[in-house]
Amino acid sequence: MSFLELAGLVKSYGAVTVVKGVDLSVEKGQLVCLLGPSGCGKTTTLRLIAGFVAASGGEIRVGGQVVSSAAGTVPPEGRNMSMIFQSYALWPHMTVFQNVAYGLKLRKMSSEQINKRVREILTVTQLLPLEGRYPGELSGGQQQRVSLARALVVKPEILLLDEPLSNLDANLREEMRFEIRRLHDEFRYTTVYVTHDQSEAMTTADVIVVMNDGRIEQAGSPEDIYARPESEFVARFIGGTNILSGKRISDDTVHCDGDFILNCGSGTLAPSGRAIVSVRHHDIEISENRRWETNTVSGRVVRQIYLGSHRDYLVSIPGGETVRALSPVDVRLPVGSEAWLHFPPNDCRALAR
Amino acid sequence: MSATVVEGRRASVDLSVPIFLILGLLLSVLVILPLFWIIWYSFTSDGGGGFTLANFAALVTDPTLVRAYAIAIGMAFAVGVLSCLVATPMAWLVARTDLPGRRFFRMLITASFVTPPFLGAIAYEILAAPNSGIVNVAFRSLFGLDSSTVLVNIYTFTGLVFAIACFTFPYVFTLVANALDKVPSDLEDASAILGGGAMTTLRKVTFPLVLPAMLAGTLIAILQSLTMFGSPAIIALPAGFHVITTKIWSLFQFPPRLGLAAAAAIPLLVITVMLLRAQKAILGRKGYTVLGGKSGTPRINTLGNWKWAAMAFVLTVLSLTIFLPYGAILKTAFTNTAGDPITWETLTLRHWRFVLFEFSATQLALRNTFLLGILTATIVTAIALVTAYLVTRRSIAGAGYLGVLATAPVAIPGIVLGVGLFLSYANPTFQLYGTLWILLIAFMTIELPAGYQQMSSSFAGVHPELEEAGRIMGASRLRTLWDITAPLLRTSVVAAWCFVFVGTIRELSATILLTTANTKLVSVIIYDLNESGDLGAICVLGILLLVASFAVVYIANRVPVLGGSQMNARG
Amino acid sequence: MWNKVFVTAALVAGMATATIARAEAPAPYNVTPELEEAAKAEGKVVFYTATDVAVAEKLAELFEKTYPGIDVQVERAGSERVFQRIGQEISSGINNADVIETSDAVHFEYFKRQGWLQAAVPQEVADKWPADERDPDGYFAAYRAHLSVLAYRTDLLSEADAPKTWTDLLDPKYKGKMVKAHPGYSGTVMTATYVLSELLGWDYFEKLGQQDVMQVQSSTEPPKKLAQGERPLEVDGNEYNIFRLQEEGVPIRIVYPEEGTPLAVGNAGILSKAPNPNAAKLFYSFLFSLDAQQLNSDFGGLRSFHPEVVEKAERTPMSKIKLLHSDPVKLEPLIQEIKTHYEQYFGT
Repeated sequence: MSFLELAGLVKSYGAVTVVKGVDLSVEKGQLVCLLGPSGCGKTTTLRLIAGFVAASGGEIRVGGQVVSSAAGTVPPEGRNMSMIFQSYALWPHMTVFQNVAYGLKLRKMSSEQINKRVREILTVTQLLPLEGRYPGELSGGQQQRVSLARALVVKPEILLLDEPLSNLDANLREEMRFEIRRLHDEFRYTTVYVTHDQSEAMTTADVIVVMNDGRIEQAGSPEDIYARPESEFVARFIGGTNILSGKRISDDTVHCDGDFILNCGSGTLAPSGRAIVSVRHHDIEISENRRWETNTVSGRVVRQIYLGSHRDYLVSIPGGETVRALSPVDVRLPVGSEAWLHFPPNDCRALAR
Repeated sequence: MSATVVEGRRASVDLSVPIFLILGLLLSVLVILPLFWIIWYSFTSDGGGGFTLANFAALVTDPTLVRAYAIAIGMAFAVGVLSCLVATPMAWLVARTDLPGRRFFRMLITASFVTPPFLGAIAYEILAAPNSGIVNVAFRSLFGLDSSTVLVNIYTFTGLVFAIACFTFPYVFTLVANALDKVPSDLEDASAILGGGAMTTLRKVTFPLVLPAMLAGTLIAILQSLTMFGSPAIIALPAGFHVITTKIWSLFQFPPRLGLAAAAAIPLLVITVMLLRAQKAILGRKGYTVLGGKSGTPRINTLGNWKWAAMAFVLTVLSLTIFLPYGAILKTAFTNTAGDPITWETLTLRHWRFVLFEFSATQLALRNTFLLGILTATIVTAIALVTAYLVTRRSIAGAGYLGVLATAPVAIPGIVLGVGLFLSYANPTFQLYGTLWILLIAFMTIELPAGYQQMSSSFAGVHPELEEAGRIMGASRLRTLWDITAPLLRTSVVAAWCFVFVGTIRELSATILLTTANTKLVSVIIYDLNESGDLGAICVLGILLLVASFAVVYIANRVPVLGGSQMNARG
Repeated sequence: MWNKVFVTAALVAGMATATIARAEAPAPYNVTPELEEAAKAEGKVVFYTATDVAVAEKLAELFEKTYPGIDVQVERAGSERVFQRIGQEISSGINNADVIETSDAVHFEYFKRQGWLQAAVPQEVADKWPADERDPDGYFAAYRAHLSVLAYRTDLLSEADAPKTWTDLLDPKYKGKMVKAHPGYSGTVMTATYVLSELLGWDYFEKLGQQDVMQVQSSTEPPKKLAQGERPLEVDGNEYNIFRLQEEGVPIRIVYPEEGTPLAVGNAGILSKAPNPNAAKLFYSFLFSLDAQQLNSDFGGLRSFHPEVVEKAERTPMSKIKLLHSDPVKLEPLIQEIKTHYEQYFGT
């Protein structure tokens, strides 16, 4: 049995259902990322776990005990979790020290213990020199670290993060990603992390859960999600991809709309209906003449951009589709010329949805 | 944490449902009960007690009622227009020009909110009564004119409009000045770049942007004067005419005509609701959000040679609204009669001696006033705080109705509420009439909307995640409210408290119908003393009232628990 | 003073159903040593009064000196407030007051009808009071009286210019110069308006209303407006306020017109459920004693029906003034009509 379990979790507001039956198991010490576009239900799922909203159906179990169900909700303060908010939610009327110490005070610790624990975590997060400052006197990155320290100091059973980096500028964001991962490796809290940024998820997560329209599309390791997407949504959302579709010929063969055959090295096609295949931009080979027997089609170059390390082509193929492909710099095809594209079977991923 | 502790915490009860129910019930009783009785009585015959439509028929057929309404409406609109005409240029000069001393002027006008309008009206009696008024006396002796010459006469319709406008113009002023503060200078710069001269920019850009604030402020001034009792009672009655509030009050004289009074109050209620809707519509429309944007400090216009004209204008307005009335009050408090010239011989402390040591009502009234002021302010702030919390945090389905209930009394004019509360609580079931409780209920109802408005807007300023952070760190809802929300709202809470306090001690419209010998308030004894013509004593009481109000407001902002340094709010 | 009379609905309804007491007045009583003893045992008496507080307190002092050991608790308010308060207390079952006194004669007709008073006639009243200044059934008697007078500022109006009669006031030369109190507010002025309307007709008031009269509320207010110099001439107002202002040196003179001057009578009575019945009887009898009545006259400027009271020399004695008496029984049903007429002619 996993440490944190979501079983058939449903949340509706009146007629609108925002979480439509989510099942998820998180092992103790894992860092799970809920990833998806805005409005996909990931934040609501997180708030359900935190206990800020009551479940309309299904259950949330922590260590085997039900904390949320349609019948009742353990209030947030009864869950021994902690959370890092998008806005950091640092209390402006308390110093850094007071912010971090608050959770410990509620746990009725002696002031010596509190001092010791707070100093420890402030050292780890490099905030010790700032302990007397008010949040308003800190930079964005420092505020973020206070927020982390405040959440970690209580040694929560589960740590929740709600888009924690979205308010930081790009450089700082990258730095903080590694910081979060480092702290996770150090403390190994069971962590649920909500983000809409796929690279943030890739860097930090043990397990990525891609959500769409209130449901889980796919859950797996970052590599699983990237290399072995199971749906068109996941393939498109994680890393750039081309989606080619056509008629299903066999379990792994598709007759594409541009009148060419694609053999897929992995994945399974939907048993009926239209067949879809995903091929990542950088996996496509491009040439001015036909160099391959199978999994190949010719088209016309619509756009070509030189990007230093590679060239970025846009090629329109029969059937009305446009394929994006990245090639080495030395493959030089002018706009308007004919181009042959090769989709290596091992990189063609058959998608069931 | 061990599982048992988690178990233990689960037992904590969420109090929000019972609190919600109690609040809902309380607010319903406060608002609905008086309205119910007004409507009930308006259909009840004053003679026999049966059902009748005669009271409503009298609204149309009784010429004294129709006239009172016509005069009241005319007066209110005149006050609104006058307030707006005076306040708008003042606001612009103070907010957007390099007028010397503009911060001081602004502070002065804001502080003048504390002046009860009835005290102002009495000050104008002292200044501008046709024969004994200081202004007339001075004018006559200056030009050697005989006693029949009258320069100004406050006991006229114009005099009434003027005296009320002096105390409603700060509403327009404050709204417009705040709006001018927020008009982003880049909008004005854009106009200037496009070739608009300073006047064109003012006329085409700045003015339309603050127009909603002007209209909204004017409507408040209209509403205030329409529902005001004290000033018309002091000025209109000697002049020989009624406005609707004084007419309703006169219906309570022996033998009381409660049904007619109730029916007469209903149109006032309807007009108030309509004006409030109009104000909401005006403020809600026309991209008013622009005013929320903060882009650059407001542009300050250089007055140059106009400075002196502007200064003269501002000083004239301030003289009329602040310096002269206060001067008159001070002078009357320290001289034998208001008309005496100030010399060493006429200076006296006899009014002070009378008020402080001889007049038996003083102590009781001061005690009642401040007791009620402090109680009302505290209870209203507490109710407003919890209501605003439930409403803004939407923690309970239906919490929105609480907000509606808490705002509803704003539509009930003081005198109407007075009628309603009298009808509700002066019957054998609720023997509250003649006690301080009925006044407490009245003040709570009257002040609730203002308190709630302040608290809910300040709640909107506290990010919900700050509270959620408290919850997830292990604090209960109440603990979070206490540890996190309350300190963050402290300034707003203190401000709301002071606002309610000042509003309570200057209230007269509802009070006048609900007070008795044992529940006298300073406002009422001032009014009573005016009826018996003791101006010196009134001025002494007025000064006491103002000084004490300022002191309470000052203390409220200094008490370490409430005020003090924000940094030390949590040790 | 009529205002702020908030009789509750129950009270108003009660008026219709009240039983009307009709009995012979009881035999007059004297202050006996037994009564004094019993009163001393009770130790105090509660006096609800509308007499000026300073006068009432002086009276209490005199009583306490005369009968040591009995405290007088003076509860002073305006007539209508006293009326309202006693109404509320009695309808709530509170019996607090022993002796009550207001300056509004209508009140006592009402109290009597309600059965709130007990019949008691002090010997002094029986012997010396004019018959029409005491209740034939013995429930109350006229404890004091004052006039509502015409008066003017002698420094602002010469004697030649001053009005001599009520109808003189209609002269255009007084336009904008007069001040008067309101019958809806003041019982004294209600009485005055009633008797003058009977005497001169309503068209007199209609014409007076066109004279640009300054309208104030209480009957204590016109004298103060005269003192302030806001108006030189008052149409009505309490005589005793004028006396006091004269003693302070304000140049005011009273005019007693030939047509007559309205008289407002202040009655007193003992409550039927007085908590200190013996002290009440003792105090009630004291109120009508020569000492008390003389004190009212000297200190309060009030008029007395005690024939032996000696008024200050400068005051015109009542015997030289033509008085206009009002009949409270006739007045009571006309109150609403008078108010309506008044508002029609004077605007409020």
